[in-house]
Amino acid sequence: MLNMFTLVLQIAVVLAVCRLVGTLFLKIHQPRVVGEMFAGIMLGPSLLGLIAPQVSAFVFPPSSLGFLNALSQIGVIVFMFLVGLGINPKELKSQGHAAVLTSHVSITAPFVLASFLAIYLYPRLSDDSVPFMSFALFMGAAMSIKAFPVLARILTERDMLQSRLGTVAIACAAVDDVTGWCILAYIVLLIRSANTGNPIWLTVGGLIAFALIMIYGVQRLLRRFESIYHERSALSDNALALMLLLALVSALCTEWLGIHLLFGSFLMGAIMPKEQKFVRYVLDRFEPIVVTLLLPLFFAFTGLRTNIALVRGREMWMYCGVIILVATTGKLGGSMLASWWTGMPAREAAGLGTLMNTRGLMELVILNIGLDIKVISPALFSMMVLMALTTTFMTSPALEVICPDKMVRAGMEAATREELAVGQLGLNPAGD
Amino acid sequence: MTHSNRNFVLAYLMLVALPVLGLVGVLRSGRNLTAPISLGGQWKIQMDAGKLAALPCGKLLTTSQDPGFAISQSGKNFTVNVGNSLTPSSGEIDGTAVMARIMPSTGSAKDAGCGGEHVLSLTATVDPKANPRSLEGTLSVNDCPACVPVEFHAVRVDQVKSKGGH
Repeated sequence: MLNMFTLVLQIAVVLAVCRLVGTLFLKIHQPRVVGEMFAGIMLGPSLLGLIAPQVSAFVFPPSSLGFLNALSQIGVIVFMFLVGLGINPKELKSQGHAAVLTSHVSITAPFVLASFLAIYLYPRLSDDSVPFMSFALFMGAAMSIKAFPVLARILTERDMLQSRLGTVAIACAAVDDVTGWCILAYIVLLIRSANTGNPIWLTVGGLIAFALIMIYGVQRLLRRFESIYHERSALSDNALALMLLLALVSALCTEWLGIHLLFGSFLMGAIMPKEQKFVRYVLDRFEPIVVTLLLPLFFAFTGLRTNIALVRGREMWMYCGVIILVATTGKLGGSMLASWWTGMPAREAAGLGTLMNTRGLMELVILNIGLDIKVISPALFSMMVLMALTTTFMTSPALEVICPDKMVRAGMEAATREELAVGQLGLNPAGD
Repeated sequence: MTHSNRNFVLAYLMLVALPVLGLVGVLRSGRNLTAPISLGGQWKIQMDAGKLAALPCGKLLTTSQDPGFAISQSGKNFTVNVGNSLTPSSGEIDGTAVMARIMPSTGSAKDAGCGGEHVLSLTATVDPKANPRSLEGTLSVNDCPACVPVEFHAVRVDQVKSKGGH
């Protein structure tokens, strides 16, 4: 039964701790969201449950977590809609070969390395209820995903969004996210149809039909939002409510079709109009409540499921270290190699690799799905959460070393000078 | 084909196409791997309540309204939760053999007359072919040569892993 006192207390504690830790992280030049992720872990059995089990049992009794989970899932559904809204795979086309190759390698390299790692980890951290194929594919998807929102925030905070590095990274991240979620949808589909006994072709057929209706039917209707925005420079509350309603209906459709709520809301966001001012306007309306209230609840819920004590003994810590190493080698190394191969200077390529290695919140979303569908065990979940935290935490300091502010600014000034010269001489920058 | 296009195609083949072929190979070879037997979920336990009550700490299990336990598994290691009176304890799976040591929580140990160093030991064999999965084994108490181990039979009723912190 819902105990309002407990729920409100939980929300208050989560908000207070997340804001506090987030602010402390800002002081050490980390995005606030990284601090909030750490705060979530601190509220779980890994810290609060360990040092003050009675306090933990009072604030977060196991019987009450269903309500906290429900609230956090609503937040993630809206968040995924905003992620879909913010990405624009068309940006990749303007970046040329370098971005196409880097984006594809940054998916395949960690994916393949993770599947090799799965051969080692499957007999050690899984059980016979999980087929190897599902385990390996999930590990691949989880290691190849990247945190588009955290990346965008790091680039904004470092004033790098307009730099070559920033634009290539954003374009690659957009493609990574779309590809990663498609792969994950396939894995969830495989596992759920194996569990329910429903024929897979029925679900796949339904999903393809749904995606086609969304892309070729609903997408046209969504342009009306953009035109209303241009006519009035704002959207009414009814229009914003309708937008949310559409995201929820789309989420329900994908859940009903046998994958997951989050795919539907992500898809609805992805097919929304992509005009920059419109996107910014919608993000500004929804982001405050999602980012300040609902996402911290998701971090706390993830933290409550993460028990670092399960990673016990030298052997388990070695697995954890190997996971972090493989994830970093695949994502950072793969992106760096690909961008360097296509002509990017080595240092800039290393910077791009570092940016692509940011996993953050998206990784936590994927890992929670993995734990829900039981494709990963609680200990592996905790190790992967540690990997997500480590790779996200290392991005800002590593970037500061590899691509210091001075270098980025010099690069941007040189690009501006080049553009001006090209404009004055009437040259075609593409050279064709 | 320009030099830049040739370079791109070569890079794409080397860095994308080739690894994807490798992935297919890994997925094929991995089919032969075996993982430890799945034990995760809720289990219902059946045993002689009289014999169990005679065991030091056995009362902790007999007082429970719904005799059973929950297992949260990670590979060959697992955590077993047996109600509020017993501390969540760790165990290990070796083939079809299952071993766990279940400790009473500090407060409940005195009430159940099992103070001191007593620990309940669970030793069982899992039947991998049974559906639902079942365990046959014994519960015994360490440091108590006079105590007679109690046989039990457990059946998995729900294959749901723990969702909260465990």
